[in-house]
Amino acid sequence: MKSLNKFIDHTLLKATATQKDIITLCKEAIRHDFFSVCINSCYVSLAKEQLKNTPVKICSVIGFPLGTMSTQSKVCETEKAIQDGADEIDMVMNVGFLKNKDYDAVLKDIEAVKHIMPNQTLKVILETCYLEPDEILKASELAIDGGADYIKTSTGFGTRGASFEDIKLMKQVAKETTKIKASGGIKDAETALKYINLGVQRLGTSSGIAIVNGETSDSNH
Amino acid sequence: MDINAFIDYTLLNSTATERDIVNLCHKALNNNYYAVCINSCYVPLAKQLLNKTPVKICSVVGFPLGAMSTKAKAFEAQKAIENGADEIEMVINLGLLKSKNYIGLLKDIYDVKMAINHKPLKVIIEIGELSKNEIIKACEICLDANANYIKTSTGFAHGGATFTAIKIIKKTVKDDIKIVASGGINDFETAAKYIQLGVHRIGATQELKATKPSLVKEIL
Repeated sequence: MKSLNKFIDHTLLKATATQKDIITLCKEAIRHDFFSVCINSCYVSLAKEQLKNTPVKICSVIGFPLGTMSTQSKVCETEKAIQDGADEIDMVMNVGFLKNKDYDAVLKDIEAVKHIMPNQTLKVILETCYLEPDEILKASELAIDGGADYIKTSTGFGTRGASFEDIKLMKQVAKETTKIKASGGIKDAETALKYINLGVQRLGTSSGIAIVNGETSDSNH
Repeated sequence: MDINAFIDYTLLNSTATERDIVNLCHKALNNNYYAVCINSCYVPLAKQLLNKTPVKICSVVGFPLGAMSTKAKAFEAQKAIENGADEIEMVINLGLLKSKNYIGLLKDIYDVKMAINHKPLKVIIEIGELSKNEIIKACEICLDANANYIKTSTGFAHGGATFTAIKIIKKTVKDDIKIVASGGINDFETAAKYIQLGVHRIGATQELKATKPSLVKEIL
């Protein structure tokens, strides 16, 4: 099995993060050999400079954190992030459309983004805190139909982060073919390992260093 | 003076459904609000509902973090205008402001302004995250970028509008930029006080309550 550090998307998404904070994040990711850094799209080119010739990947969020941007704008943001050097895209699903039961619009939103990045990894954030169990199942289906490589639980900006129940529901739909990323509120190694045992392939957290050091983080972002 | 004519009636939750947007538009029409303020995915729907009415459509852009790439913000703004928005409310890039990267910050606003031609651009500076000096700097950059309005808050971060912040903004921009106060304004008296301080528009997520109508008359 791959080591714990390689499950981690080292994450900094708060609005006030400075250029210096992003440089620090990248250095930490190199030092701890995390899988990637997960950042806002305005910082992708800066991260690319920092991570050139390293194995650390760059993951850009899209339509973040509400998912309520027009589809064409999500596509444009994705295109630019990939151009700037992003290896992976974490887009937020349009939860309002899901609540409307306008499943066609939810699907098209995801398909349109995947269409312009056929060779990169697409993760679709469901924002499970706002969803009923049956909506989590439906959202997972739509994300997978739309071309998601991963389904991801949370933005970290909603009313709660991942839960073990979310993962069990998502796993029912994802089976062994689509991967799962748990994110939001994962602050220690014990929790991280529980998620991995449930079949999660990636962890989004700003507490990656505490996790690999076997500590508990008090970070809120 | 009709306070309703100052109101941007706002619904920006990610879980807002079509029905919620329909209700929002109907209430805006019935109460003669100035505008509805919504996410960009719902601009076409609002346009259908408000076409040939006096109620304007305001779309947020890069909302609520402001940390989207400049190119994506400009595109989102342009698309929203094409879809029927009359005004754009973009969130300033707080990270660049905190980095003191003022050139990047200016370009971010300027590029959006260029993308929407002559439509009004409101820039949300998110005062709850800023020191007094940062508020002044953000205002100066909005002046340089020819923004039309400065708006206090997204409603998604710490704190909404404050009288203190409005005074700082007003002192910095004088009459060159208009001001939108938003976040936590729930009654007519508070709205009237903001208007008295020189605010041109009020962002409200619910119908304002009239607790002391006589006080409102006195203020205005």
